[in-house]
Amino acid sequence: MFLRNYWYVAASDDEVTRKPLGRIILGEPVVLFRTEDGAPVALENRCAHRHLPLSMGKLIGDTLQCHYHGLRYDKTGVCVRVPGQDMIPPSARVKCYPVVERYHWLWIWMGDPALADPDRITDYHWLDDPNWGAKPQYLHVKANWQLIVDNLLDLTHLAFVHETTIGNSALVEHASVKVQRSHDNVLVTRWIIDQAPPPTFVKVGGFTGNVDRWQIIDFTPPAFLRLDVGATPTGTGAPEGRRVGGISMRNLNAITPETESTSHYFWGQAHDFDIHNPATTDKVVEQIRTAFHEDVAVFEAQQRNLELVPNPPQTDINADTGVIQARRILDRLHQEERAAAAVAPSVAAE
Amino acid sequence: MSLKFRVELVWKDTDDSVADSIYLASDGRVILQGRAVSPLERQAMSLPPEAELISVDRKLIRAIKDML
Repeated sequence: MFLRNYWYVAASDDEVTRKPLGRIILGEPVVLFRTEDGAPVALENRCAHRHLPLSMGKLIGDTLQCHYHGLRYDKTGVCVRVPGQDMIPPSARVKCYPVVERYHWLWIWMGDPALADPDRITDYHWLDDPNWGAKPQYLHVKANWQLIVDNLLDLTHLAFVHETTIGNSALVEHASVKVQRSHDNVLVTRWIIDQAPPPTFVKVGGFTGNVDRWQIIDFTPPAFLRLDVGATPTGTGAPEGRRVGGISMRNLNAITPETESTSHYFWGQAHDFDIHNPATTDKVVEQIRTAFHEDVAVFEAQQRNLELVPNPPQTDINADTGVIQARRILDRLHQEERAAAAVAPSVAAE
Repeated sequence: MSLKFRVELVWKDTDDSVADSIYLASDGRVILQGRAVSPLERQAMSLPPEAELISVDRKLIRAIKDML
């Protein structure tokens, strides 16, 4: 079950080249490539003739030629050449998806093209902002996308899954958590005051004593989670808004469902210290990547269990509050999108 | 006293107005924010004279229905 009328990240900008890239998004096969002038294109990755993925073919100018029988499609998905015959059947076309290149990512709209407003793309400016050091990353996950969303909205797991990097017990035992729910947003704010910094913060921030640490998680549907995280030496005023002498980072997550049981996990880590030093960016990203691989092991193990026994009962605890609010918003949006889709054919017929 | 884990829930309406907070305590209690009901109000509305009563905003009820 996917929300379709949203922008999703389809690829990082450097993945999309003159060599066609095949990718499954929301259960649909998509092929991505660039025209000769560099513009990105996204088409249905299935030849209208005999269903071979067009990503196995090659670009001839700005047309994509199928590897099987040589049918060629232009950048709008219309077949413009059938080898050996002059007449091109009108049904020889494939879907064309709106795409926008922004924040080093290629965004795709899988729903009604008439609704594809680029102003609705979620803000990830930290990834290409000159005032931040940043590096986008990608992970393929063999688990449903909502498990990743759940994980990012409840960071108490850091104390157990990531105790060698970004977690410690203070996250659970000494945290004040505020969950703000509005119509289409959940904001989880967590402060951990006057506690020891986790190993990663010691490595990249050089802390020698206790810190005041914050984690502010901004959830926007369907699966965009932007985390404002950092720490300053205890008592220097971060809770009151004076972030001095410490480190501030943005952990930026955009999850794109591949299928019901697999996900494209696009993420990036931006930092506001030593921003022009690639070695610092690499060090920060490496720490987070280590932690994220620990998360992936958890997601995939959860998924395996869920496939053995679908929809088992589960117990909720206080820490799930942000997760529960996000799921309620998603449930409502699914209902709204289904209702709109049910009405659409009769409207079109009028 | 060191702070134990607790969650504050805040519900925001579409007009950006905010309901009073709901607190989930680590001992299992749900703590609501409200105003104590005065002896005069108890008398006027025939409310129990001894019970610990609080008056809460209707927006908080909406928050409880939506969030808990």
